[in-house]
Amino acid sequence: MKTKHAHLNEEKLFIEENIVNGKNIEESINDEANEFIPFTNNKGKKIPDNGILLFKSCLISTEYPGVESSTKFVFDKLGIEYIIDHDQSCCTGLGHYSDVFDQYSTTLIAARNFDIALKDKHPNIATMCATCYAINKKASNILNNDDEIRNKINKVFTDCGLKRKYEKGSIDSKNNIFHVAEIIYNKKNEIKEYIDKKLKNQLSNLKIATHHACHYCKVHYNDTIAGVTNPNILDELVESCGYKTIGWFNEKRTTCGAGFRQRFVNKELSLSVTEEKLLSLYEEDVDILIHMCPNCHMQFDRYQPYISKNKNKPLKTMHLNIVQFIAILMGADIESVVGIQTHTVKIKFLEKSD
Amino acid sequence: MKEKNKSDLRVGVFICRCGGNISDNVDIEMVKNSISAECIVEFENLCSINGKKAIREEIISNKLDRIVIASCSPISHEKIFQNYVNPLNPYLMDMANLREQCSWVHNKDEASSKAISLINASIEKVKKSHSVSPIVCQTPESVAIIGGGISGISAALSIAKGGIKAYLIEKESTIGGNMVKIGKVFSPVKIAEECGLCLLNPLINDVAWNENIEILTNSEVISGSRQSGTFNLVLKQKPTYIDGKKCIACGKCNELCPVNVLDEFNEGLSYRKAIYKPFSQSFPDSYTIDIENCIKCGSCENVCKMGAINFDDEEEIKALNVGSVILATGHEIFNPSLRPEYGYDRYEDVISQNELARIMGVNGPTKGELLTLSSKKRPKRVVMIQCVGSRDEKPDGHKYCSKVCCMVALKNANLIKHKYPETDVILCYTDMRTPGMYEKYYKHCQNNGVRLIRGRPGEIIKNSEDNLVVKVEDTLTKEFIEIETDMVVLSLAMEPSKGTVEIAKLLDVGLTEDLFIKEAHPKIKPVTTDISGAYVCGTAQGPKDITESIMQANAASSKVFELMHNGIELEPFVAEIDKDLCTNCGECIDSCKHKSILTIDNEIVIDPMSCSGCGECLRACKESAISIQGNISEKIYATIDGILKDKKEDERRIIVFLDQIGYTAADNIGINRLSYPSSINIIKVHSINRVSPDHIIHGLKNGADGVFIGEYPGDLMYEKVEKKINKLKDYIKEQGVNPERIQFSKVYIPYFTGLAKSFIEFDKKIESLEEPFFKKGSSKNKEC
Repeated sequence: MKTKHAHLNEEKLFIEENIVNGKNIEESINDEANEFIPFTNNKGKKIPDNGILLFKSCLISTEYPGVESSTKFVFDKLGIEYIIDHDQSCCTGLGHYSDVFDQYSTTLIAARNFDIALKDKHPNIATMCATCYAINKKASNILNNDDEIRNKINKVFTDCGLKRKYEKGSIDSKNNIFHVAEIIYNKKNEIKEYIDKKLKNQLSNLKIATHHACHYCKVHYNDTIAGVTNPNILDELVESCGYKTIGWFNEKRTTCGAGFRQRFVNKELSLSVTEEKLLSLYEEDVDILIHMCPNCHMQFDRYQPYISKNKNKPLKTMHLNIVQFIAILMGADIESVVGIQTHTVKIKFLEKSD
Repeated sequence: MKEKNKSDLRVGVFICRCGGNISDNVDIEMVKNSISAECIVEFENLCSINGKKAIREEIISNKLDRIVIASCSPISHEKIFQNYVNPLNPYLMDMANLREQCSWVHNKDEASSKAISLINASIEKVKKSHSVSPIVCQTPESVAIIGGGISGISAALSIAKGGIKAYLIEKESTIGGNMVKIGKVFSPVKIAEECGLCLLNPLINDVAWNENIEILTNSEVISGSRQSGTFNLVLKQKPTYIDGKKCIACGKCNELCPVNVLDEFNEGLSYRKAIYKPFSQSFPDSYTIDIENCIKCGSCENVCKMGAINFDDEEEIKALNVGSVILATGHEIFNPSLRPEYGYDRYEDVISQNELARIMGVNGPTKGELLTLSSKKRPKRVVMIQCVGSRDEKPDGHKYCSKVCCMVALKNANLIKHKYPETDVILCYTDMRTPGMYEKYYKHCQNNGVRLIRGRPGEIIKNSEDNLVVKVEDTLTKEFIEIETDMVVLSLAMEPSKGTVEIAKLLDVGLTEDLFIKEAHPKIKPVTTDISGAYVCGTAQGPKDITESIMQANAASSKVFELMHNGIELEPFVAEIDKDLCTNCGECIDSCKHKSILTIDNEIVIDPMSCSGCGECLRACKESAISIQGNISEKIYATIDGILKDKKEDERRIIVFLDQIGYTAADNIGINRLSYPSSINIIKVHSINRVSPDHIIHGLKNGADGVFIGEYPGDLMYEKVEKKINKLKDYIKEQGVNPERIQFSKVYIPYFTGLAKSFIEFDKKIESLEEPFFKKGSSKNKEC
């Protein structure tokens, strides 16, 4: 008790970095209980299959709406109970990381979204975007640990006449906030039942690689499942559909290069990273790169033709979100559900199968 | 002996002038006239031999029951005066600190009246004292050393040569540990590499021939407990299927064995047979059968002329009772698979320093020739990567510096350069850490052409020509570079061995956050653990080199001698358990922060060796089965009464509770001739935890204006005490008393100026406080 409260004020100073003495906040809070657990472990993480608020993402809605419809399609197939609430707002992530929104505004928006989830009695938030995932987790850590900020935010709600309030601990970063990939991972042994065998054989010659989003693997890494330094959640999901990925490849862990504002203010640097990774995929002759974040998806899919032209290399890798990949295999309509018409790099293997 | 009533007790007070130290500032005559006792004697130097005579004479002639020595601090002379009150029990004497906490800190006007209240407090306290005897613990003169590496071997030798029986317990089939595999060792002073095994082998021989050492290989501790200085260990000894007494290590069995197994001695770079000797100098000098890989073809049985092979050999369970345990369970190496970016699992030519040592070792898989594993060719370039898994804040990494890797890499780099000057050796480092003489070796390596790049490589890839490429940023030039190479050597972190964690759990020894064995104090008790009688040495305690491991092993053995020499005499104020009242509920076990309470044969036992007398278990025990002798609680009440005796209407008296550490800090104020208000009256207690809320309330109700509790933050009970005091403050607030009258503060011995300042500030604060206050005897004293 003593040490925790005494440290809270100091922690506040570090919250921006989300690191306290080299540990993230949650880890340092759990320290006492986990004295003898040396390394990261996710054994305590329970993944729900109901009471889920599917957290809408700006980039998905505007760039790749097929990811959302594919998620619903896959959730329905796997019997995952969820709702969507159109009152929910943007997490601010893109703006936050571009220094448009400060941490306080971001936390306030999160408190509002959490209240919506709680009022809907769907307190398990599942994000389709890795940025929403990390932003919401950080905000819930702040709201649960910093009384001052929480009280200030609740006062804003009251002052504005809103019937909203965030109670300490009502949304737990570890037990209430998930990435959609995790919700599906939890049911990965059931995926095979729903896979269209005819389709599966048609796709069997494709080389598949995975791109794990930084804000899923590298920010709240104590909660990341299936590998952090060697991320494998997407590889394992692809495997559960009956495919093998190429596994590790040069630059597997390299960022997409988007870096939020970097793409716009530092384009050359941003694209040089994207290029490096795309060339590595080219060397490996990869047909499909599997994504879990619309920001990465966009960076690769939208800029690949540009890089291909600049580098004079026939880059051919297609880009699919993991839920799109699974939805396709489950027989979803490729336009009305998977939404491949919104992709810049054409999804060719499906045209062939038509 | 029947104790007399308090009023019948005959108390003698002896006041020491201390050559003017006390009498210059304290009006001794006035003090003598203001106190009442059976006899009051004034003496120039009470601690002298003449003082001893005077005390003895008075005790006998006045039939004194209790003695108060009003002189210097008990910290300096308590043992002397405990001896001087003979024939009385030493614990029937109490010291009033008229020097460090009176004449040296107060002015002439204040010191005399303060002296009176200090003596009164001691008189009241001593009337409540019981005669008790110190507890003597004798431990068995034997030691179990767990782990047969260089640390365990060194400790065993030192202990055995000192005449104490040592059991050297090793889970492998040979002693020797990691040192046998590293090939060359080097001395920074001589700037030369030497053969490691040539240094170790004589020690192994010494161990083997020493009659005081029993070597138990293939053995592991499976359970352990301790009671009053005896460790009861249970060992499991794996069968070797070979009778060590018969085997003459002729090796005929080895020639015939058809099974090839990867050889651990060579880091899996070569093969051995299923019947094998780990390495030629291994000890015990006999073969062993790796039963997991043996196909039981019987070839060895047929060829063995000695009839040493016995497939019916069984696991053995042994009990061992020893007086002490030395944990020398060593280290393991960071798993390189956890850093997939370095491709240890993907690329054959990415190896560890240990594997390189085997490749370079003349008794290794290539007989000492440096060849790549993939093509068996001499590498044109070798890149070494430092800090793999150490100084690493990424998941699964260790934040600490592994301490030896810079030297290991330099040594291996230099060996390569020495033998193959044309091979380019590059070290990618985070910081080169070569303290002391090692710096000379570092320069020596640079002069020999070893190249250094400051930067931690991000990734190792294979390029289109199938060559390894190390991608690294040279952080000095801020350039990204890609180094093509034939071989990469990873300097992997040392990490705690599984055996270390297991034995710590079995014996309840504390671990650090990195899971090494935690020392009782990292500065002044570097080989002592938090379990008395258990010591640690070598890499079980943290990364270190061979020299340091041996030094620690010798330090641990000298601690064992301290323990075994005369038994241990303990202060008697420790918890005792009444077995008739105890229901074995176990509440006390959870409450004890000092890990002094344990269950042995379904009975709860308190180990006097480690009990601090904090009294926490007394509170936990619902049956009131636990007590601490010495009547401590009553003595505290009496001391409070003594301090508050004859308090005048306009006077302020503040009670301060300090333990040994706080009391020493308070003495330091006097020794340095600083001052604090004479309202401050210090009561020395065994453990701050023994001061109960009732004591504090008793003080406040009977005239104390404030209570100050000082505790060293390193004390195991610190947090509990702080919590308790906060609760008490809430309680007195409910009672309408200002909670500011109670203060809890941190104390440190060297920061006595801070303590003096706290006293002054607390006194001022109390002065500024107005009523409400406890009216004497007004409300009923409630438990809280």
